[in-house]
Amino acid sequence: MPIVLTDVDYIYDSGEPIEFFALHGITLEIPDGEFVGIVGRTGSGKSTLVQHMNGLLLPSRGQVRVDDVAVINKRDVLAAVRRKIGIVFQYPEDQFFAETVYDEVAFGCRNYGFSKERVDSSVRSALSVVGMDDERFLLQSPFQLSGGEQRRVAIASVIAMEQKFVILDEPTAGLDSISKLSVLSELESLRQSRKVTVVLVSHNMDEVAEFCTSVIVLDKGSVVFSGSTDDFFGNPSLVSDAGLDLPESYRLAGALAGCGSLLHVERGSSSAVLESLRRTVSKLGSP
Amino acid sequence: MSFSQGFVLGQHYPGSSPVHRSSALVKLIATIIVMVTIFVAVNTSEYLPVALFLLSGIMVSRIPARFFLRGIKPILFLIVLTVAVQILFTPGDSIWRFGVVRVTSQGLVLAAFITCRLVLLTLASVLLTASTSPIELTDAISDLLKPFRYIGLPSAEIALVMSIAMRFVPTILEETERIIRAQVSRGARIGEGGLVARMRSFIPILVPLFVSSFRRADDLAIAMEARGFRVNQPRTRYHLRGFHAVDLVILVFSLVTLGAAVLLRVWR
Repeated sequence: MPIVLTDVDYIYDSGEPIEFFALHGITLEIPDGEFVGIVGRTGSGKSTLVQHMNGLLLPSRGQVRVDDVAVINKRDVLAAVRRKIGIVFQYPEDQFFAETVYDEVAFGCRNYGFSKERVDSSVRSALSVVGMDDERFLLQSPFQLSGGEQRRVAIASVIAMEQKFVILDEPTAGLDSISKLSVLSELESLRQSRKVTVVLVSHNMDEVAEFCTSVIVLDKGSVVFSGSTDDFFGNPSLVSDAGLDLPESYRLAGALAGCGSLLHVERGSSSAVLESLRRTVSKLGSP
Repeated sequence: MSFSQGFVLGQHYPGSSPVHRSSALVKLIATIIVMVTIFVAVNTSEYLPVALFLLSGIMVSRIPARFFLRGIKPILFLIVLTVAVQILFTPGDSIWRFGVVRVTSQGLVLAAFITCRLVLLTLASVLLTASTSPIELTDAISDLLKPFRYIGLPSAEIALVMSIAMRFVPTILEETERIIRAQVSRGARIGEGGLVARMRSFIPILVPLFVSSFRRADDLAIAMEARGFRVNQPRTRYHLRGFHAVDLVILVFSLVTLGAAVLLRVWR
């Protein structure tokens, strides 16, 4: 069952002179098993939206339903919702406290009362998803790891809870380009192998185009587009109206089309464009 | 879910009232005079001039009463606790008893006295920090400590340390909130269960908070040095301001408050 938001408003400092509509009439659905992107310029309400999905924030108006259960301010309802939805916040390595990587990743599992054996298997499998399953990491202090390794451990600490939904708020911010790509590929493989729904909040349109099947576009607290990634990036005026950039691959494909050249390339994610280019070039090569 | 909402102690509430415009040094001295008055008082009646002084200050400042009420909220627990202790454990003429529990008139008087003391102290400090920007306040503290420079006290540095501490209170509260959200999302139950479980539940919040505070301190030190900050150097000021009529009024009224409280004591 999906996450469904119906006509959600969220007002910061409600009733004060400085009250501010962070979200306005948000209606959306995060379908099961998809890789969904949430994009929008800075201050468009992405992080506020994400916090509604596991009841950290409750809507000022409207309703959030997770697996057909309305999220309300009751301890057991909130606990049940959080049990289903994992959130990796921005700079998640800031939450480290444990003495070892193992304990850090095991924290959530232990909170949810996993048996000792299940904790062990969950921790190891989560660390292997993020490529940190080397035994030497397990007993190391998480504070001694490099930035990229810390990020992976932080993501593993959420994945380990084996939840149905994993929401990541800019998981690749501050990572080098190789780490960026591998972290996202790992999430994609997690989605395929465990049927986990992945929600990615990102400023990087290249990674959204590459990994997300659908996107939700926010602007000034409202949803301005919701649909397939290709449809969104295929409409450049929509993209620029939302204050966003086209992914490099769409720009390249657009530029090639604009030249009217023989190199006809389909617009799409960078891997799709690359594939299309390869095909066109090989066609040109063979008379 | 906002965990630190309404924490206003030390928060600035910008405005353009005479209270806001008056010299921070004068406000600081007036606050000290008023606090001394509050501390030396032995009867609730002596708080009357202090209350009048603070209330008129609050009215003139045009800072909403709500802001001050929110300032009192965090110390409400302290007030309730001390009031309970005073009422229950002050010996004297009992006016009501139930088994071993007895309430004495002396206890009630003391409880009222202590409540007034705590509330007035809070109001005074909230009024000062709300109407004075942290920068002005630092300058004022540094001015106030200037005479001690001759005995080797680094007054400017002390003032800077304090202002940095104040500046980072909201930042660290925000950080705490962020960490709590992250840990709650990882299934942490904060402040639940028995005493030991409750204490343990704070470790996942406190450790990251310490780590980030140290990192922030490092970053700040580097940023300050990069912008030419050196210890033990004479410092010039951007804002220079003289002594105005409003300053004199505040100073006079705070002294009148002290005098009135003393008179009320003597007359009894």
